[in-house]
Formats: sequence, C-alpha cells, structure tokens
Amino acid sequence: MLPGRILLAGLRRSASAASSVAQSPKNMCYWDRVIWSSRYFHSASDNTFSEGGSKAKELPDPFALIKDEVSEVTDRLRSMVVAEIPELTSAAGYFFRAGAEGKRTCPTVLLLMASAISTDMSDPIVGLENKPRARHVRVAEITEMIHISSLIHDDVLDNADTRRGMDSLNFTVGKKLAVLAGDFLLFRAFSAAVALDNTEVVSLLATAVNNLVTGELMQLTITPAQRCSMDYYLQKTYYKTAALISNSCKAVAVLSGQTTEVQALAYQYGRHLGIAYQLIDDILDFTGTSASLGKASFSDINQGIVTAPILFAMEEFPQLREIVEQGFDDPSSNVDVVCIESVPFSFFLVLKYLQKSQGIERTRLLAAEHAKLAAVAIDDLPPSEDPVVLSSRQALKDLTQKFLRRTK
Amino acid sequence: MSWRWALARRVAKLAATDGGGGAQAQRLLPTSSAAAGTGLLGRLHMPLASQIRSKVVGCRGAALVSSRWLHDAQYQVRQDGASRAQEQQDPFELVADELSLLANRLRSMVAAEVPKLASAAEYFFKVGAEGKRFRPTVLLLMASALKFPLSESTEGGVLSILADKLRTRQQNIAEITEMIHVASLLHDDVLDDADTRRGVSSLNLIMGNKLSVLAGDFLLSRACVALAALGNTEVVSLMATAVEHLVTGETMQISTSREQRRSMEYYLQKTYYKTASLISNSCKAVAILAGHTAEVSMLAYEYGRNLGLAFQLIDDVLDFTGTSASLGKGSLSDIRHGIITAPMLYAIEEFPQLQEVVDRGFDNPANIEIALDYLRKSRGIERTKELAREHADRAVKAIESLPDSDDEDVLTSRRALIDITERVITRTK
Repeated sequence: MLPGRILLAGLRRSASAASSVAQSPKNMCYWDRVIWSSRYFHSASDNTFSEGGSKAKELPDPFALIKDEVSEVTDRLRSMVVAEIPELTSAAGYFFRAGAEGKRTCPTVLLLMASAISTDMSDPIVGLENKPRARHVRVAEITEMIHISSLIHDDVLDNADTRRGMDSLNFTVGKKLAVLAGDFLLFRAFSAAVALDNTEVVSLLATAVNNLVTGELMQLTITPAQRCSMDYYLQKTYYKTAALISNSCKAVAVLSGQTTEVQALAYQYGRHLGIAYQLIDDILDFTGTSASLGKASFSDINQGIVTAPILFAMEEFPQLREIVEQGFDDPSSNVDVVCIESVPFSFFLVLKYLQKSQGIERTRLLAAEHAKLAAVAIDDLPPSEDPVVLSSRQALKDLTQKFLRRTK
Repeated sequence: MSWRWALARRVAKLAATDGGGGAQAQRLLPTSSAAAGTGLLGRLHMPLASQIRSKVVGCRGAALVSSRWLHDAQYQVRQDGASRAQEQQDPFELVADELSLLANRLRSMVAAEVPKLASAAEYFFKVGAEGKRFRPTVLLLMASALKFPLSESTEGGVLSILADKLRTRQQNIAEITEMIHVASLLHDDVLDDADTRRGVSSLNLIMGNKLSVLAGDFLLSRACVALAALGNTEVVSLMATAVEHLVTGETMQISTSREQRRSMEYYLQKTYYKTASLISNSCKAVAILAGHTAEVSMLAYEYGRNLGLAFQLIDDVLDFTGTSASLGKGSLSDIRHGIITAPMLYAIEEFPQLQEVVDRGFDNPANIEIALDYLRKSRGIERTKELAREHADRAVKAIESLPDSDDEDVLTSRRALIDITERVITRTK
C-alpha cells in the first residue's frame, strides 16, 4: 500500500489544481481514495498536460477540477447554515466541518453531470466566475443540505450513535436539537432553491424531499406482506436513496436549459446510480470488507429491515420467508425466542439460508444491471466534441463501476 | 377602555358615511364565493352611535345589538330575492364553512397518503382547544379584508374566475400555515415531557417519538410541495423564513442562558419567533398573492405580528391565572418547565430579590410558591396585560390603515379582524 501512496502523492503534487483541503491518507474517506485511484487511471500514462487536443486522456483530469469545486461547496455550506443562535449553527454545520464531510458523492455527481451535459463551447474550463456554473454549484449545495438534513433525521429515528465514524448529531446535542437542526437545514436549502428563481427546479427538489420522507414512512409502516415484496423494497429504495440524486440531476439539466430528452437522461442516470449504490450497500451490510459472510455490521437485519439479498434468498427458500415474518414482526414481543448471547436464533438461521442461496450474487447482478443502465443513459446524451464534456461523461460512467466494486 | 370607543367610532363612522343615516346591512355569511354580492337585506336604520355607546358592554354587546336589529331586518323587503340564513356576527363563523372545507381537504390528504398518520390529522384546525383555530381564521379573513373591488358587471366573467383562483391560492396559504404549525408542534414535542398540549393529548405519547418526528417531516415536505406549486418566490421566501424562525425560537427556548433568561428583550424576540412570525409572514403572503403593494403587505404583516404577540402575552398570563382571576390557579406549566415569561420578568424588575428565586430553579414546588408570592405583590400580571393591549391596539391600527373599500365583504372581514384582537385580549382560556 505504501509505494502506491507515494506514487499517488507525487501525482497529486504535479497536478495543476492544488487542493486547499488538507488531507492525509489516513483520514481519507473512501470516496477520496476512489478519486485518487481514478486520477491514477486517467493520467497514469502522461504527467504533462496539453491544451486542447481531442483525446480526453490528455486534458486536466476532471476529477481534480471537480474535487476543488466540491471542497468549495463544503466551505460555502458552512457559511450558508449560520443561524442566529450559535447552538443551532453548530448543530446544523456539524457535518460540514473539516473532516466530517463524508464522501460528498452528491455534489461530485452533480457537478460532473453539469459538465457532461454542457453545450457551452465558449467556456471549456469550468470555473465559478461562469454564472451558469455558479447555479449548478448552488444545486449541488442545496442537494447536499437536503441530504444531510435527511441523515440527521434518520439518525434520530434509528437512535444511531455513530455516523461517518464519529458521534452522531443526536448523540452529541440530543434528539430535539438534532430534529430542529434538520428542519433548519431543510428550509435553508429550500430558501436557496427558491433564490434560483426557477419554479421547476424548486418543484423537483420539493418532490425529492417528499420522496425521502415517503421512503422513511414506507419503512416505518411496513406490513409483514410488504416486507417480503421485492417491488415494495425497490420502490422504497428509490424513494430513500435515488430520488434525491435523480431529481437533482434533472434539476441541473433544467437549469442548463436542456431539452426534455436530456433532462430525462440525466434523471435516469441518477436513478440507476442511486439504486445500484443502495443494492451494493445492502450486500456490504452482510459481507463487510471481506467476500465471505460474517464480518460486517448487519445493521439492516438487526433493525428488522429486509433487503434485496434476503428477498432473493426467500425466493429460493420459502422457509426463510416464515422465519422472516415471525422474527421481524416485533423483536421485543418475541419473548420465547431462543437467544444465543442475546442474539435471536432466527438471526443465525437467516444468515445460514442466505449463505446457501444465491441472494448475494443475484443482488450484485441487479446492481450491475442498474449500473449498466446508468452508463447507457450517459451514452445516449447528445454527442459532443468538447473534451471536458467527454471526460466528465467518462468519469460518470467510471463512477458506476466504482460503486459496483467498492468494498466498504 | 379605548377599544370600546374604537369599536363605537367605527360603527358610528359607518353610520355617518352612508347617506341618510342608514348603513348597508352587513353580509354575515361565509364568503366562500369570491364574487362581490349585493346587499343582504336592504338598507336598515342603524341605532345611533350614542345608543351603542351607552349599551355597549363589550364586543359581545355590539354583536348582540347588531344581531338584534338584524333580527328585525328579517321582515324587511329583500332586494335581490335571495334568501340567506341569519347568523350572529361571530368572526369565526364568517369563515367557518371555508375552514371546514380546508380541514377536510387536509385531513383526507393525510389519511389517504399515510393512514397511520390519521391521528396526526386530528390536529388540523382542531376545534375546541381555542388556540388552534385563530390562525386559519385570521388568514381567511385577511384574504377577504384585502379584496380588490369587483364591479357588479363583471360577475361571472373573467375577473370573477381570477378572483376564485386567487382565493384558492390564499386558502393554500392557510393550509400550508397549518401544516407548518402542526409540524412544529410535533417536533417541539419530541422528548419534551409535554403530555398535554392545550388539553389535547400529545401526539408524541400516542404515536411514539419516531412517528411524530416523521409525521412532522411529512407535513413539512408536503408544505414544501404546496409552496413550490404556488410558484411565487416571495411567498416561498416568507414561509421559509417563518419556519426558520420557529426553529430558532424553539432553540432559543431550550438553550437559554442565565443572562438571557432575565432579559425582556430576549423573551420578546423568542416570543416573536415562536408565536408571531408564522402568522405575520402568512398574512403578508396572503397580501402578496393578491398583488398588493409593499405598504399594504406590511400592514397585513403588522396585524399578524401584533396579534401573535398579544396572543402569547395573554397566554403567559393565563398560565398563571387560569380560568379564575386569581393567581396560581393556572396550569403553571411554563414555570414548572423553567420558562420565565413576561409577568415574571416584570415582577423581577420590581423585586430584584425574585431573581435569586428564579435562578434557583423550580424543581422545588416551594420555590414556585415563593415566586408566585412575589408575582402577586407585583404588577407583573397587569403590566403584561397592558403590553398585550398595546399590541392589540397596534393590530387594530394596522387594519384601519388599510386602503378604503366600499365592499361589504371587505368591511365585514376587517371588523371581524378587529373583533378577534378583542377576543384575544379578553379570553379566559
């Protein structure tokens, strides 16, 4: 690992855009490692950058450009959530502090999408002086705020103690202030959306917010029958994970004044990307960092949430369906459930069936299917000669593959 | 007793400006259709202002007087042939039908989309707990009070259709306001030991923490969607500000430092945020939707703001006095939660020793008794009532400063709005 890091560090120093965010390899979250590695893939062959040129490889790496913009997004977010009361400011800005930003997938995807659909040939190098670009950056900020707001509320709902490797907000300041901070962020985001002065964009974002809540509600009010339904699960997954990114991608297209076809393609990309992401997430909840079962958090199953691998396994083993229905109805009411070290026996049974079945593999296939559809959406975009556009599109396609291959 | 003279003045003005000493009978029906109607029952002779002055025993008195002569008016010749029911001049009745419409709409929307939240839907426009119906009533009355005049000849024409559309949009503001209000109640209840809110069992207890947080989120997100659908950026901005203020006010409440707890300014600011901001911004939104000028919109805002503040100040008094006039019979829930309100703050100004008592906290009931003792001796309650009166007067002034109108609906609604300020001040629960 060490020689690789030195190579990457050298590449970073020679890259044109120096990142202002201090990042030591130790603190690097998963996504930043992806960025580094893909920068490696892209500019491995040459260290020199040439102006113009028709091949995407020879241009400044779009990830590097995006990375700076993404960092500035986080910086600006910190100033956008200033409230009158210091407690509220610090609660709302909790996840925008340096080191707490997480993967920042949302802003990255959105900014890449903005570049990918851009038809403005007169301004090949993106920068914040460019006004249309500024509006796209706004969408990225708004989306990130909505995303964080939903994370904060999710943690309150799930009583989670940790998030992104640190204490959750509700653990730090209490449930009530966390709920209030989430509300505050949501409406700050909404105000910013309104300032864009585009009613369709505001509508899309409001729909996304509505979908997020609907997804949570679907989870909370789930009946035993719905728990075993793949359709219900996929719908819920769309609402909870994909709706925000898909609607935001579409919003970016709308802001760019693109045709409805392009808007739809942007939407499709976000939708398939989001679903693929969640499916892999579900697998990782079982497999963790290794390919075999048993070295992971199992947080879904512990909360009684039935995900795609189990659903697929249930198709192969009907007995599993019974166990699931029994065991997850109301964990606290199963007084005569046999427990091994305070873990219900049914838990082990479920894992056993899962291991025997093709559940994990079929989920992976489904994720790959969605990733492919996302890439297809990019390919269907109107052709362009602009190198930045092309490299952004390539980056978006690479993203789908990265998501499939991630291990944590 | 300025309000009585204000009311009498108003009535007298109406009597005087109409030639012949008579006045148009007021339209007492809910104005759910937007088109201006013709006079209800023809012209009547109104009792002289002086008679009213001597008879007036309260705004209820004025209502009695007017209903009495309207009762006589039943036997007057009807001008347009339409027959309408008689109703007492109760400001809430004016818009009661419209309100039921909105309430049912909201309840069924919630019940249809998320059946489990049906119990949350009960909170909407809840009748009985008197505090709850003020908001939407005020907004609908404000919408009527700000109507631009429609000439008779355009009845049924394009302008009338536009007026209907506007009314619907203003109703949406009332719905959105209610959604935001209930959402904030739900979120405020999270982990509060508030087991009753205005005599209604807290939803939190019934549904559990999780569902109430989600229910609040659901309502906020629906409010977002509805706001987006209105397509007016200024209105959305106003309502977003209102939500921010709600959140800020609640945060101020839970994170008040010792110094801040002593400050009347801090308290009034928090009160504005928690109670008055929503209604004032919604009133302004209603005005903006109607296309009024910035001045008129500000008047609407001022009305809402002062009404809200007056409401909360009386609320604070009632928490001590309850339905009796004497101190200590109220629920005392504020003081038990360590929330220092206006009466206490005034009392501390008179008796600095009270500050120590307050600082000790009120976990010990004996301490509460000591504080109440000081409060009794002080003029805290009276001064709070005076401040509430002041705000109510300002609210009335805002209505009176609205551009003149001849439309009956408009005048009736404005009178009703003034009436409401009166009720806010004189209520006993």
